[in-house]
Amino acid sequence: MTSTLTWASLSTLSVFIPGAFIAYALARHRFPGKKLISTVVTLPMVLPPTAVGYLLLSLLADEGWLGREHLGFSLDILLTWKGVVLACAVMSTPLVIRTARVSFEEVNPRYEAMAHTLGYGRLQTFFRITLPLAWRGLLAAAVLGFTRAMGEFGATVIVAGNIPGRTQTLSSAIYSAQQAGNDQQANFLLVVALAIGFMAVFLTEWLADSTHKPSRRAS
Amino acid sequence: MTPARLSFDLEVPLDRFALKISHHCEHQILGLFGVSGSGKTTCLEAIAGLRSSAKGKIQLGDEAWLDSERGIHVPCHRRDIGYVPQEMLLFPHYDVTRNLRAGRERAQMNGVDFQQTFEAVTEILELGPLLHRRTRDLSGGERQRVALGRALCSGPKLLLLDEPLAALDQRLRQRILPFLLRIRESFQLPILIVSHHPVELQALCDEVLVLKEGAVIAQGQPQSVFSRPDVFNLAESQGFENLLRGTIAQHYGQTTALKLADGQHLIVPRSERPEGQSLLVGIAAHEILLAGERPRALSARNCLRARIATLQQTEDLVLVSTQLDTSDRARIVAEVTPDAARELGLTAGGDIFLVMKANSVRLYE
Repeated sequence: MTSTLTWASLSTLSVFIPGAFIAYALARHRFPGKKLISTVVTLPMVLPPTAVGYLLLSLLADEGWLGREHLGFSLDILLTWKGVVLACAVMSTPLVIRTARVSFEEVNPRYEAMAHTLGYGRLQTFFRITLPLAWRGLLAAAVLGFTRAMGEFGATVIVAGNIPGRTQTLSSAIYSAQQAGNDQQANFLLVVALAIGFMAVFLTEWLADSTHKPSRRAS
Repeated sequence: MTPARLSFDLEVPLDRFALKISHHCEHQILGLFGVSGSGKTTCLEAIAGLRSSAKGKIQLGDEAWLDSERGIHVPCHRRDIGYVPQEMLLFPHYDVTRNLRAGRERAQMNGVDFQQTFEAVTEILELGPLLHRRTRDLSGGERQRVALGRALCSGPKLLLLDEPLAALDQRLRQRILPFLLRIRESFQLPILIVSHHPVELQALCDEVLVLKEGAVIAQGQPQSVFSRPDVFNLAESQGFENLLRGTIAQHYGQTTALKLADGQHLIVPRSERPEGQSLLVGIAAHEILLAGERPRALSARNCLRARIATLQQTEDLVLVSTQLDTSDRARIVAEVTPDAARELGLTAGGDIFLVMKANSVRLYE
């Protein structure tokens, strides 16, 4: 169980920071290939998770583009905990980027213009104005990314397998317990999943509640 | 040290027309007047560096901010401007003090003693009681003062004000205008004010450009610009008033006597200021009656002797521009119908009496 939490956290961390920057670029800038990037990072959301898992497996297999034969060494990801983190990260990317993008888009760009007139360069403006004004949405993006990672199953079992004690996650453990007819174990895991899910969604609801957040639009 | 002068020669494409404007400021304060959609905010934003489509030249003193031919485009954050946008844009995640300190680093980089400026601005704009308030708890007038204070604290070399009084109701306008006048006196900064409100431009500016659909249709000293027939129609629809400055001579029960530059007294609604202080008042052109000789037994409290400087015919009105004394400052414009002008036998150079009720005079204090 703790390993699932650790893996989901690692996955969230690895997606969140680059994801936030991509989301910012998508929200604020116009550049060639923007629609293409936006589409590619959304794909894992619309594809069957098993398809994404199979794609990762093909890339990482010995003869794949990221495999031993191409790179000259093995990344040693398949059937390890690293595979779990990778599968979770890829599957939660769309949710993280889309949520973060909306939270950046909700920040009135005139505040950023105002900051420029006070002598703030781009980085200063981002860290002092944009980020603090978008933080609630960004935190919600991280929470949603985390819960998506917690619940990941399809891509994970293909890339990392379902090896008890090594790559088994909460969701694959529920699957195994149910398949083996171990109702007691399955029920226990269900309660754990419910508790984590409830807390996460409740937190995002709280974050989205407008009664305790400073207005970002009106001045 | 005389402050640097602003000059610009700009072309900015807009949806319906292109803004074309060129000017070299000779004075401290330049006003841009025009109805909404005339391109004045665009001009201000181009000077601020917030319009990347602007082409041409912008120069402050000997610093070039934009020179398209030479490929110079100084980004907004290096232009050293103090900007007060119409929506004020106080940072919602900062309290008032942090908003005021937002431009501290730039100010210090420009060699400004920040603490001293901060204290001076706090005093002039009376921000002391607001310093620890959250911005969302401020009233409209308070926000305006904080936005002005933030711009002034950031060590700007040019102040850009976009409709500083537009978001405020009449009562607040009358209260903010004196703060702007104080800024004008206390900081020797070049200022560009954009407004569709003739009163604030008359009160604050040394020079006004009138914009219509992206082109300058008139320019010059505010009082003479606003009394031009083509501009007057535009100005009056936006609330043109004659502005007069006088010294408080005496208070009565409900009125105050104001001594004007030429020595005549004007009775105005009661002012809270002590005797001897200077006061700015306004009166609309259509509130003034003209008389060929001094009327007797009159309910209106004021009857000022003036000399007609010019008569100008608009479509359905005659604008009578009068002077109280020989200086051009105390100019009062009244409007009459062409019939009335004919009957009174008005001619330039002739004497006239201006009749107005005390209650039709507005105080700006």
